[in-house]
This record gives sequence, structure tokens and C-alpha cells, in this order.
Amino acid sequence: MEPDSTRPVLCTHCNGENLVGKRAMSVFCRHCRKRLILEDYRINTYHSVRLFATCGDIYVDRTGQVISPIRVRNLTVQGKVKGDVEARGRVEVTGTGELRGDITAPLIRVEEGGRIEGFCRIGALPDNWLRAAFPVK
Amino acid sequence: MAEPQTPARGDFPTIIGPDAAFKGELKFEKGVRLLGRLEGLVESPGQLEIAEGATLEGDVKAGNIRVDGSVKGNLRASGKIQLSASAKLEGDLTTARLEVAEGAVFIGKCVVGSDAAAKGGPAPRMDDAAKHAPQPVKK
Repeated sequence: MEPDSTRPVLCTHCNGENLVGKRAMSVFCRHCRKRLILEDYRINTYHSVRLFATCGDIYVDRTGQVISPIRVRNLTVQGKVKGDVEARGRVEVTGTGELRGDITAPLIRVEEGGRIEGFCRIGALPDNWLRAAFPVK
Repeated sequence: MAEPQTPARGDFPTIIGPDAAFKGELKFEKGVRLLGRLEGLVESPGQLEIAEGATLEGDVKAGNIRVDGSVKGNLRASGKIQLSASAKLEGDLTTARLEVAEGAVFIGKCVVGSDAAAKGGPAPRMDDAAKHAPQPVKK
């Protein structure tokens, strides 16, 4: 595989680094052998799962409602989210957004009118913080 | 809700200098810029700015709070809390608006929302989404 056609992603289960194709939609982690979703999601309905994990971004629309723990790269909340969030990038809650749950992320932004409630770990935190927050079972 | 007025950068009537260490209860009307060290309780309808290099240990209740330095304690603002890139906050936070710059570190419980700041308690619970969940078919 040519280097230009690949990108590095961190496993949402074990934090191991994987090199994946740019167009790949899912792969198996070479460290823990679990399936990794690489797609971006736009949620505009009710969505409830045991774990909502992707190496891409999640965008929760105004009409969207997610009841689940989330592991994601970037999360934008316009609707409602209930569950713990671990983001490797940015968590953004817009004026209509509501997020209830613990947040672990390097960066957070809450627009005027947006609501969040939960324990936050914001900043460039050591990797073991993430492991402590979401231990591999 | 009328947001407390934010004083301009150099418009703080009170400045606690970099060589000063204050211990106790601090109350003020307009604004205080902290450059040194403060330990205790702070209460004000105005603005509190904790400059880079300054440290604050204790609880704060103010209109607007800007953190450039490090804080160990609970912050409550009726207006806005700003954490700049050099900010370090260890404690709980309750405010109507929150701005966090890239590089800021914050560890603690967080309640953001206009209702939360006005009432002084945690934000009201969102609609119980579980009631909209698909119901299992009863046989």
C-alpha cells in the first residue's frame, strides 16, 4: 500500500495505532483483533447502543438523540447525548445541544445555550487517563 | 438574563500584584485581576481574571471568570467562564457559558447552561429519552 493512501488511526478499544487505507470503512485492529469502524456518522433519530465507537466523527443533529457511551474522534452535539464521551479531538456542543455524561477530550467548546453536565477531563492528558477511563475488557 | 459587564483588559479597579499573597474572603463589585496568589473565598457580581502565573486556591462565585493561571477549587459564574491555553483548573465548574482554548487543562465536574448558573444547582435533567425507546413486543 502506498504511504499517501493510508492514514494512522488509534483503536477505539485498545488505543493501539493502526495504519489504514484512506477509503477503508472498517478494519480489524492489528493489536486486539477487534473491529474498528472508520466512518463518520450523522445521527438525526433516536440511537441507543451499548457502545457507539468510531475512529471518525459523529454529528448529532437537532433531532438526534444518542443514549450510549461514545468513543470518537470529533463529536458535535446539536441534539441530545446521554452517555460518557471519550474524544481524541474536539467535543462541540452547539446552542441547541445537550450532553449528559463524563467527557474526556483534549478540547471542548460549548456555545451559548448549550448544556453539559458531567465530570470533565479536558486537555492534553496522558494516554493512561484514557485507558483508566475506558479500560479494555 | 442580563450578562455581567466585562471590563476591558486594563480596566480592573483592583489588582493583586505578582508578589502579593492574599488569604481570606474577598468581595468586590467591579473587577479584580489576580497576578499573585490567593487562598480563600471570592464573591462578586463582577469579573475575576486569574492571570498567567497566578494561583488561586478556593471557591469563586463571580459574574465572569477568566483563567490564564492555575486554579484549585470550585468556580461558579452567572455569565461566562473562559479557560485560556495556559489555564489549569482542578475543581468543579458551574456557568452559563464556557469557552475553553486549546491547551487548557480542566479536571472536574462541569455544569454548563443558563438555568444551572441562575439556580445555582445542577442543570435540569434532559427529557427522559428512554421513554421514546422502542418497546419490546409483549407476547
